[in-house]
Amino acid sequence: MATSMRGLTQYISDIRACRVRELEEKRINREMAHIRQKFKDGSLDGYQKKKYLAKVVFTYILGYKVDVGHMEAVNLISSTRYTEKQIGYLALTLLMHENSDLVRLVINSIRKDLDDNNEIYNCLALHAIANLGGKEMAEALGEEVYRLMISHTSTTFVKKKAALTLLRLYRKHPTVLSTAEWAERIISMMSDPDPGVALTITSLVTTLAQDNLEAYSSCYRKAVDRLDRIIFDADYPPQYVYYKVPNPWLQIRLLRLLQYYPPPDNQQVLDMLNGILQAIIDMSQDSPRNIQHNNAQNSVLFEAINLAIHLDPDSSVVSNASVLLGRFILAKETNVRYLGLDAMAHLAACSNTLEPVKKHQDTIILSLKDRDISVRRRALDLLYSMCDTTNAKVVVGELVKYLAVADYNLREEMVLKIAILTERFATEYEWYVDTILQLISAAGDHVGAEVWYRVVQLVTNNEDLQAYAAAAVYQHLQATACHENMIRIGGYILGEFGHLIANEPGCSPVKQFQALHSKVNYCTAPTRALLLTTYLKWVNLFPEIKDHLINIFERYTHVLDAELQQRACEYLALAQRPESDDLLSTICDEMPVFPERESALISRLHAKSGKVQEKRTWVIGGKEENKEREAERFRQFRKVSTPASADAAPSIEKKLPIPSLPPQPPIPIPQKTLTMDTTMGTTSNGVAEDIMSSLADLDLSGNGWQDEPLLINEAPTAEALPQTNGGDAVVHATLGGVDPALLAPLTVAPNIEKWLERLTYATEGILYEDSSIQIGIKAEYHSHLGRIALFLGNKLSAPFTHLSASIENPEPTALDAHFHGMPIGDIQPLAQVQELIHVECKDVFNQQPVLRVVYRTGEEGPKGQKVLVLRLPVVLSRFVEGVTLEKEAFFERWKIIGGPPREAQLIFPIKLTSSGEVDLARQTRVMSGNKFSLLSGIDPNVSNLVLAGVLHMSSGGKVGILGRLEPNKDAKLCRLTIRSTNEQVSAEILRLSSKPLNADLAAS
Amino acid sequence: MIKFILVQNRQGKTRLSKWYVPYDDDEKLRLRGEVHRLIAPRDQKYQSNFVEFRNDKIVYRRYAGLFFCVCVDSNDNELAYLEAIHLFVEVLDAFFQNVCELDLVFSFYKVYAILDEVFLAGEIEETSKQVVLDRLDYLEKLE
Repeated sequence: MATSMRGLTQYISDIRACRVRELEEKRINREMAHIRQKFKDGSLDGYQKKKYLAKVVFTYILGYKVDVGHMEAVNLISSTRYTEKQIGYLALTLLMHENSDLVRLVINSIRKDLDDNNEIYNCLALHAIANLGGKEMAEALGEEVYRLMISHTSTTFVKKKAALTLLRLYRKHPTVLSTAEWAERIISMMSDPDPGVALTITSLVTTLAQDNLEAYSSCYRKAVDRLDRIIFDADYPPQYVYYKVPNPWLQIRLLRLLQYYPPPDNQQVLDMLNGILQAIIDMSQDSPRNIQHNNAQNSVLFEAINLAIHLDPDSSVVSNASVLLGRFILAKETNVRYLGLDAMAHLAACSNTLEPVKKHQDTIILSLKDRDISVRRRALDLLYSMCDTTNAKVVVGELVKYLAVADYNLREEMVLKIAILTERFATEYEWYVDTILQLISAAGDHVGAEVWYRVVQLVTNNEDLQAYAAAAVYQHLQATACHENMIRIGGYILGEFGHLIANEPGCSPVKQFQALHSKVNYCTAPTRALLLTTYLKWVNLFPEIKDHLINIFERYTHVLDAELQQRACEYLALAQRPESDDLLSTICDEMPVFPERESALISRLHAKSGKVQEKRTWVIGGKEENKEREAERFRQFRKVSTPASADAAPSIEKKLPIPSLPPQPPIPIPQKTLTMDTTMGTTSNGVAEDIMSSLADLDLSGNGWQDEPLLINEAPTAEALPQTNGGDAVVHATLGGVDPALLAPLTVAPNIEKWLERLTYATEGILYEDSSIQIGIKAEYHSHLGRIALFLGNKLSAPFTHLSASIENPEPTALDAHFHGMPIGDIQPLAQVQELIHVECKDVFNQQPVLRVVYRTGEEGPKGQKVLVLRLPVVLSRFVEGVTLEKEAFFERWKIIGGPPREAQLIFPIKLTSSGEVDLARQTRVMSGNKFSLLSGIDPNVSNLVLAGVLHMSSGGKVGILGRLEPNKDAKLCRLTIRSTNEQVSAEILRLSSKPLNADLAAS
Repeated sequence: MIKFILVQNRQGKTRLSKWYVPYDDDEKLRLRGEVHRLIAPRDQKYQSNFVEFRNDKIVYRRYAGLFFCVCVDSNDNELAYLEAIHLFVEVLDAFFQNVCELDLVFSFYKVYAILDEVFLAGEIEETSKQVVLDRLDYLEKLE
């Protein structure tokens, strides 16, 4: 390394001695002029060049611009002396950036040093590439760096530096390097005996694997093995023990890498991993006195907890860990509290049950008042993740309270989160409105426009909410000072719904007008424009204050703002038209309902988190958000791995597939409902539900038909079954070695049709049951997407093995249906497993996908092989979402669509109830189960049903559907008419929705 | 990964800066100022060693009058980097035999060389103090 240079030391001392900035600048200018002169003269020896260059570098580090020395740096890196080379490279990396023109000049010198036999030169060259790393370098030298990394003759230093240099080049220019081809070679280096090499290679693999899960899949096993050797075999050189913790950084890297892959299918690997994680947790029960020791131990522990949560948030390892976390969030050390809250937020964001976290709710709320803003932020994130219907009021209440005193740079995020939680977990409309209004008055400027738009959308779409909202906002406007956002909401809501409260005491039109207009002076032009519109609406609604309003319009015809003036003139003209004219009432008609759409709030929140170098393994928020992200991340991986598994390298994928889900408690199968029934949606009618559920991208609360028994009939008798399914399979098995499972026809059994039919209009129920297996279904649909949970239950005392399931989809262009993960595995006796199917409606389809389940019971020979082939209850009407229409709008559209071919009609026989009446309840259930909204007040005959809905297709677009069901008790007939803008849709929807009611066709 | 490493004294003078993301000079200047204003007023006793910074976070530790700060991705392991800072400081301490702020000033070119042995390309390169010190000894003897 460069030995001391006296001139440099003197120069530094001189500068340090300068008491004022001017003197310092003078000294520097003198020196730079001197150096420039020296460089110009040439004929400097290596030492002098080195010394002057070092001075230039020092000057640059002080923050001065320097314009000399670039060429000398280029010259110096070709020196044969290490000390001179080192300064040359230092100057190069500090003075130039990756796009500098001079970089081109040095590529050849760097290449020479890379090729040199002297490993010290190799290292210097690698430092330069790692620090500069532009595109040209990546193209010119990437291969060379790779070669150095894998070469057997390279020293460990060269290997380490080459690995990280490659990583840098890849991050900047991922396409330049052929990383997929290098996969096996790079992964094999993870087992390098040198822990330094192993660490850097693992870092490289972690980044490469994120973009290429499949090609790097064999790193999983390597990582698990290496961890196992560190933890259980103490296989590490003694100099890599850091304060009694064996190589914490390597452990962390390996644990992190595993989080980028889905949990392993191989039970053995999973057991091994759980053993490792448990051991890490066991080792961390005590907090060592030494701070370094404690930190190192905890750094590994927290990474292990993150991995355990990723593998299975409900495992015993995680529940052991959560006990520790409960202790951590109460710890004296701030760092530990911070990390404890962070890990708990991860747990809450991924776990199926929030109970373990909720136990600590009071502590967490208290953490909002921590002395450290970093801890307060973590507490906020955690509260956001752990919120559900049961604690929403408390959590949101605390957050709103805290908002008033929160740090300024935290407020906007808090407002967003509060708004989302309120929307998502509101059980009463009143609470929602109150909270949001309170939020706006408390946080004012920090409330983004999205929040108040959202309130308007909600109120417009929910009739039940309108009067309450109007009264509430009016109440808020009574305050002497209101935030502008409050005035905007007030303007909009009172303009639309002010008349609903006009008869309440103290809410007369004049009072409403005064409440709003007294604030107008504090408002910006856009708000005034909005208020003008409100006044116009009032001209229509409240003729008694018309004079006041016209007065104001007249005044505004003289304002400077062009937009306001134009409005005022137009509104004035409208308001002054004669009473008999209905132009005004037409214009001021009620606003149409907003189309359902995803909440803008969530995307806003995630946009804030920005881009990171490494992909996040989880995000703050609920389980759903994380599940989806994960599915997105792993989709490519699973897709490719299924067909490739046969010829894949000896990776873990090839091992016998065993379920990744642990056996769950025994049958009875589907739990009653998927989510809590108390969410806003289910307390109200179907329409409100749709709107509320679309709000924040939340789970559609499956409004399971709870009044109906889940099991309609007893299961078919045991004797009937072997002949039907198992029997067929045996016959086919003799047909020349073809897998019988692929040939088996649809399974036939007494109740299959009935179960299936029920599932076309119910969200959950039995798909199939016999003496050995029960298959339950729970489904949720959201516009063109759907998720179906299959519950496969083993009723025998012996395990099912070699279970596999596949979906055959006759119309792949119109419908997409695939399993979420790899649906293969074993089912333990009296246990059940859950598999998830994703469906997407792309276009009109008529055929249902078919589910094929093959498994072996304990019995020997062909008898033990069972094949089930069942149609899935995925039909076009599942992708319909109800809409409400007013009478006029309904008839207008009904007329526009017109008769055949866009109308489809069917008259069919129906069964009456035992008392000889039309079974109205059942008809209602079937129709709303077909996802239509039932519109009241349109058809004068109350036993007729009027239906409206919108079919969502991702490529086929949206199709509006209207319908009418007219039962006739005396004739025992029923007429169903469906009109839609697409004749295929009309026909298919007619077929689907009439079938369960048709006495001739219905299976039940 | 590490975006940058800054070593600053309590007055905000930067004693070492290493950038693993190509910022331009003005941006670097801004970052130095922002980091100093964020870290320096924080309480040693009651506040953690982590603080959010833009979309990332800064993990820092104070040694006498010097703040060692590393800026890492928001989902990186905080304690791993906190201890990496300590490892680096221990290496400096052993190399300079009781390191002080002036060592960083007068031997800046050596500090950069040491840094390149511990961190490279925004990642931790070597985690054994002994291995790094042996290597530095070896390099020190070269001419």
